[in-house]
Amino acid sequence: MSQGYIKIRDLRKEFLLNTSGAGSIKTMLLWWKRRKLTHVEVLKGVSLEVNPGECVAVVGKNGAGKSTLLSLLARVYKPTSGSIEVKGRIAPLLELGAGFHPDLTGIENIYFNGVILGLSRKEMRDRTQAIIDFSEIGDHINAPTRTYSSGMLARLGFSVAVHIDADILLVDEVLAVGDYDFERKCYAKIDEFRANGGTILFVSHQMDAVRRVADRCVWLKDGQVHQVGTPDQIIGEYEGHGPAPELGS
Amino acid sequence: MLGELKELWRYRELLLVMVQRDLKIRYKNSALGFLWSFLNPLLTVGVMTFVYSNFIFQKQPQMGAYIMAAYLPFMFFQQSIMDSSQSVIASVSLIKKIYFPRELLPLAAVLSNFVNFLFALTIFFGYLLVNYLLNPGSFPIQSTVYLLPMLVLFSLALTLGGSLIVSALNTFYEDVKYIVSILLYLLFFICPIVYFDETVANSKLNLNSEWLAYKIYNLNPIAHLCTAYKKAILAPYDPKVMGPAGSDSSDIVQVGSIPISWNYLAATGFTCFFVLIFGYWLFNRLKWRFVERP
Repeated sequence: MSQGYIKIRDLRKEFLLNTSGAGSIKTMLLWWKRRKLTHVEVLKGVSLEVNPGECVAVVGKNGAGKSTLLSLLARVYKPTSGSIEVKGRIAPLLELGAGFHPDLTGIENIYFNGVILGLSRKEMRDRTQAIIDFSEIGDHINAPTRTYSSGMLARLGFSVAVHIDADILLVDEVLAVGDYDFERKCYAKIDEFRANGGTILFVSHQMDAVRRVADRCVWLKDGQVHQVGTPDQIIGEYEGHGPAPELGS
Repeated sequence: MLGELKELWRYRELLLVMVQRDLKIRYKNSALGFLWSFLNPLLTVGVMTFVYSNFIFQKQPQMGAYIMAAYLPFMFFQQSIMDSSQSVIASVSLIKKIYFPRELLPLAAVLSNFVNFLFALTIFFGYLLVNYLLNPGSFPIQSTVYLLPMLVLFSLALTLGGSLIVSALNTFYEDVKYIVSILLYLLFFICPIVYFDETVANSKLNLNSEWLAYKIYNLNPIAHLCTAYKKAILAPYDPKVMGPAGSDSSDIVQVGSIPISWNYLAATGFTCFFVLIFGYWLFNRLKWRFVERP
C-alpha cells in the first residue's frame, strides 16, 4: 500500500443560493429582476494536512463545513479558491450506499461502484466474492439495492470501500449504522487498513469513535480551522464548549 | 480541454461498464427485451412505407429502403438526444457523492444508442440482401457505400455534441427537454426522410428563389446526412422517371437526380465536428455546477 497524503492550502468554497428557486426558464424569465442570489461561504480558508498513515478526525457543529470539506476532497465540488493536493487513491464513504443504483442488484452495484472508484473490470471481478463475504449480506446480494435496509447499504458501501486498495479513506459518519458486530468488524478493518499504512480522514459526531481511531483531531468552526490537537485535548475543549450557547453568532 | 480528454481516457473502463449497464437494462428487464428497441422503428417504417409507397411516391420501387436509409440515422440522433437529456438529472444523487468525469453520463447514453444503430444498420443490409435475392436485377446497393463509415462517424460526432449540449442545459432548466422534444419532432419534417432532396430541389420555392431554399435546406447537417445515407447506399432517385403519380411530372420536374455533393458533405462534416467540440467545451464549462445549481 503506497503512502497517500492530503495537503489542503487555504481552501475556500462558496455556494450560490437562489432564494427564488429558478428551476425552469419560466421562473427565470419572470423573476429575473427579483431573483436574489446569495453567496454563502461555507469554507473560509481551510489549511490542513493529513500525513501518510495518519488518521485525522474532523469535529464541529452542523453547518461548520465538515461534509463540504470531504465532498471537495472526493472531487464532487470544485474549490472556489485554494488548492487540494491528494496523492493516492481515495475511497469516499460520504453517505449510506453512496453511488449505488437502486435498480441494480447488490452484485452489479459492487462491480459498478468499484469501477467508478478506479478499478479495472478484471480487478473488480477478482474481489467481488471477498466483498460479498465481508458484507455478510448473503442471498440478498442478488436483489436490487432499493430493497436493502440502511444497515445493509452501509455494510455493502463499507465493504466495497475497504476492498479497492485505497490509500486514503474518507469517512463521513457511516461507522455508526451497522449493528454492534458489524461495527466491531469495521473497526477491525480500519485498524488493519491503518496498520498497512493507510491514511484516513473522517468526520464524526461520536466522540468515542474519534477517541478510538484518530491520531489528530481538527475542530472546524464556521468554515475555519478552530483548533488542532490530540483527540483528548480537542474533545475536552469541544464538549466543554457547551451545547451551542452562541448559535446566532 | 486536453486534460479533460486524458481524464476521460482514464475512465474508459467505467464508460464501457455504463454502456453495458444501459444495454442490459434495455434488453434484459422486459419480457420481449431485444424486440422492443426494434419494434418501434419497425412499425414506424412499416406505416410510413405503406403510406408513402401507396399514396405518394406510387411509381418508386423500394420506397421502404429509402425511408429506412434515412430514418435509422435520424432515429439514432433523436433517441440519443432524448435519452441523454435525462442522463445527468437522473444521476444527480450519484454525482453528489462520487467523482467520475460527468460527461460519461451523456456519452454512455449516446453509445448504447449507437450500438443499437449499428445493429439496425446490419438488419437493414440484411433486408436489402433478401430483397435482392427475391428480385435480382434490382440490386439497390451502390458502390458509394464505402462512404458509409464516414457518414456514421459524422452522425456520431453530431449526436455526441448535441447530447452534451442538451444534457448540460437540461440540468439547469428542465424545460430544455420539452423544447428539444418538440424541435426533434419538427426536425423530422424538414429532413428528407419520407421524401427526397430532389423533391426539395424541384419545389417552386426553390426554383423561384434560385436554389437558395435548397442551399439552406442542406446546411442542416441532419437533413444532409439523411440525403447522403440514401445516396451512398441506394440507387439514385430520378424524379423525372418516378415522380409523384398523378402529377404531370415532365412539366414540374426540372431537376433530375442529384449526385452526392462533396461540398455539402464537407460542410456537413465540418458542422458535425464543430457541434461536437462546442458541446464538449460547453459541458466542461458547466459540469462543476451540476451538483450545486442554485
